[in-house]
Amino acid sequence: MDTSAPPRSQNALLASVLSLLIPGAGQLYLRKRQRGIAILAGVLVLAYLINWALKNFGVEEIAGWLWLLFALFWAWNIFDAYRLARAQTTYGWLGLLLPVVIIYVIGWHVTDINPDRLVTRFKDVQVVFRALVYPDLFTQEGGTWQPSENFGDIIGKIVERPAPHWLVQLGLVPEGAKVPTPVLGKMAETIAIGLMATFLAIIFAIPLSFFAAHNIMSRVPGGTVIYYAMRTFLNVVRSVDTIIWGLIIVVWVGLGSFAGTLALTIHSIAALGKLYSEEVEHIDPGPIEAITATGANLLQIIRYAVIPQIVPPFLAYTLLRWDINMRMATVVGFVAGGGIGFFVVETIRKGGYEQYAAALWVVAIVIILVDYVSAKWRARILAGEVKVSTEAPKPFYTSLRALVLLAIGLAFFVLCWQLAQIDLRKLFEPAPTFVKVVRDFVALDLSPDVFDTVLKQMLITIFQALLATTLGGLAAVPFSFLAARNLMGASPLSLVLYYLARGALNVLRSIEALLYVAIFVFWVGIGPFAGMLALAITTFALIGKLFSEAIENIDPGPMEAIAATGATGLQKIVYAILPQIIPPFISYLIYQWDINIRVATIVGFAGGGGVGLLLNTYFGMLQYHKAGTVVAAIVIVVAIMDFASAKIRERLV
Amino acid sequence: MLKIENLTKVYPNGTVALRDVSFEVADGEFLAVIGLSGAGKSTLLRCINRLIEPTSGRITWNGIDLTALSQAEMRKVRRQMGMVFQQFNLVKRSSVMTNVLSGRLGYVSPYQSLFNYFSADDHARALKNLERLGLRDKAYVRADSLSGGQQQRVGIARALMQEPKLILADEPVASLDPVLSHSILKYLEQMNKEDGITVLCSLHFLDLVHRYSTRAIGLKEGRIVFQGLPQEIDDVQFKTIFGQEAERVTIL
Repeated sequence: MDTSAPPRSQNALLASVLSLLIPGAGQLYLRKRQRGIAILAGVLVLAYLINWALKNFGVEEIAGWLWLLFALFWAWNIFDAYRLARAQTTYGWLGLLLPVVIIYVIGWHVTDINPDRLVTRFKDVQVVFRALVYPDLFTQEGGTWQPSENFGDIIGKIVERPAPHWLVQLGLVPEGAKVPTPVLGKMAETIAIGLMATFLAIIFAIPLSFFAAHNIMSRVPGGTVIYYAMRTFLNVVRSVDTIIWGLIIVVWVGLGSFAGTLALTIHSIAALGKLYSEEVEHIDPGPIEAITATGANLLQIIRYAVIPQIVPPFLAYTLLRWDINMRMATVVGFVAGGGIGFFVVETIRKGGYEQYAAALWVVAIVIILVDYVSAKWRARILAGEVKVSTEAPKPFYTSLRALVLLAIGLAFFVLCWQLAQIDLRKLFEPAPTFVKVVRDFVALDLSPDVFDTVLKQMLITIFQALLATTLGGLAAVPFSFLAARNLMGASPLSLVLYYLARGALNVLRSIEALLYVAIFVFWVGIGPFAGMLALAITTFALIGKLFSEAIENIDPGPMEAIAATGATGLQKIVYAILPQIIPPFISYLIYQWDINIRVATIVGFAGGGGVGLLLNTYFGMLQYHKAGTVVAAIVIVVAIMDFASAKIRERLV
Repeated sequence: MLKIENLTKVYPNGTVALRDVSFEVADGEFLAVIGLSGAGKSTLLRCINRLIEPTSGRITWNGIDLTALSQAEMRKVRRQMGMVFQQFNLVKRSSVMTNVLSGRLGYVSPYQSLFNYFSADDHARALKNLERLGLRDKAYVRADSLSGGQQQRVGIARALMQEPKLILADEPVASLDPVLSHSILKYLEQMNKEDGITVLCSLHFLDLVHRYSTRAIGLKEGRIVFQGLPQEIDDVQFKTIFGQEAERVTIL
């Protein structure tokens, strides 16, 4: 904390005048550097934003209000300088509130929020809501429930097909006969994409992670350079979203499941590589010392001291990534083809909302299962099992059970390989234009027109993320109390509420934002409003769960103590619960804001406005220069936001 | 015979851990290294097997200048020096057996050891060492399920697997209660007297020094301030080594 100048009225006057002329100058003069710079930066940014919003969005009605608020902020800054010089209270919260109000007002208009439309179109959107409650999965034929054709498309069906070669060879069926063949549906394809991408990513991520681990690389001559190079590489690849990778990969290997799998794999390698490398860096150096002291070489040290320590967290992170990959697999088809994402695009185009609803339900069920399995397994791994035995464990290849499991696993692997349409030959025969595309892509188009457009859409995207986080977060706060076991476990009624709340959050959470956009496009039309609403729903669901877990993790001591004083339920909340949950709540909000920036960049692919739409357009029109600019903008913005949010969370914790 | 000449270690941040330390250790001795925390005991032990590189000085062992060896040659020397640590430094999630077998890593083929393959001989030797330390029935249990004293015994078994000529013990009993401390040091004493292994052991309590060691050196702020027999540490010497505010504490 800087010390302020001694409170003399001469100082106060001078400080006020300085701040009048140049906002923040007075504070700088009083040696409150951070405050001064923040005020100056704030004024500049606000002026730019107000100007930009007025130029681009035709919001003349509120122009007056915006400039008034701006002037108030300027006035507050003078007041602040004056009071600081005299060491009096300055109502700093006002200085924070005014810019926040300005930003939200601008954001409201930029994302085209129009509550009117929500109401007027409500009748029409009921079609979609009905579809959600009556999805197209089963039909009634002659009194019995049969899986519908849509069911077959999504999950799988049995079709009469010419018998495969090997059956004929074995003499079991005559040549040309038709045999009932199981054909797996789009959801199975999606599951295969998620599994294969995770599996392939592990193979590459593990060696790469060692190159990105400082404690290992510093032991090798020239290793530090490799470390920095690998770290940067992983960060850059990671900041480009899977969906965007999908766009690029499609040009290489063509539309289809393979493109989706590849895009997901590339992104996973970078994400896993980073997580793995952090685990490698956090290991206990003690066993490394001990093994070195026995005279072992570097490989033996890695094998005996490093690997046993990293296997449990590696497994846990892999399961986490599998969870995430399954979710991404449900949407990667939007741009890359393949899986349920592509199916959704097609059905919406044809207006088949019952089929679309059926897809959503199937996705929800599968993802909830995946979530559950992944969480249970991870808990088991991290807790660690202690087996007590006095005999040496038998090697796995002697156990029949293990061999059978291995055989099943291999068969399953081959099935997934085929479903994901992995065709390694395609990797080596890129479309003839691919090289030209890459070159165009890297040579960014920075002409003023394009620059302005990209900047405008990028700002819209950021505002979308901001508003979605706010709306979703505000709704989640009260709801999360309903989903917290320690608060709701008292009576049978509240327990039912708890299960309903938890269930609702789980179902909403299992569907990616991109899949929700279609509903809102139908409701309020194409544009940033639809995208923002879709994001708000997923924010609500994700944050709701995180918040409820934060509530469940509080120390019960203070609650007991406050209850013992005879306080009411509300007082308990205010005095015992709120103080404990505010830091994690804020931390989660920032974490969600981070995620939302990323997701907001892609909601445009389904009509949700923002840079996603721009990117889709440019790729569609083969204008790769401009597409490159958009991707570069996204990478930069995501990197800045990542950095800023990490710094803020550091300050909090 | 281990000869340390003018050993100095300055860490990159400027801390001088060892200043011009010189002493000799004859074969078969049980040398106690005593001093306050931060006096340089751990650094000294780690310089001997070059887990830490000395800044200057020379370490000669059985006629070989250790400080002049390459990393590959030093690995061969390390396998003859066993090391026991204050925090035991076992691989927690591995079994006791794997931890003990890893003592053989300097001797086995690097490729076979990558597949966790050790010869039947090695397995037998490991079981024998565990038996000697009273842990035969814990051979296939996870290392972190053992108590502190048991884990340290596994550490000693690991060191024994190297068939060492010298054991460096860095405060091996500092994390253990008084009864366990005696039990562990009795094992080290047994190895010293029966197997003829030279032991360099850093200790905090003078009672243990008197009971187990044949010679002692005292370090203070990186310098040797005492060299001689344990009995020679009278009150004056005690205050020289541990400082004016120090008081004697008995441990059983």
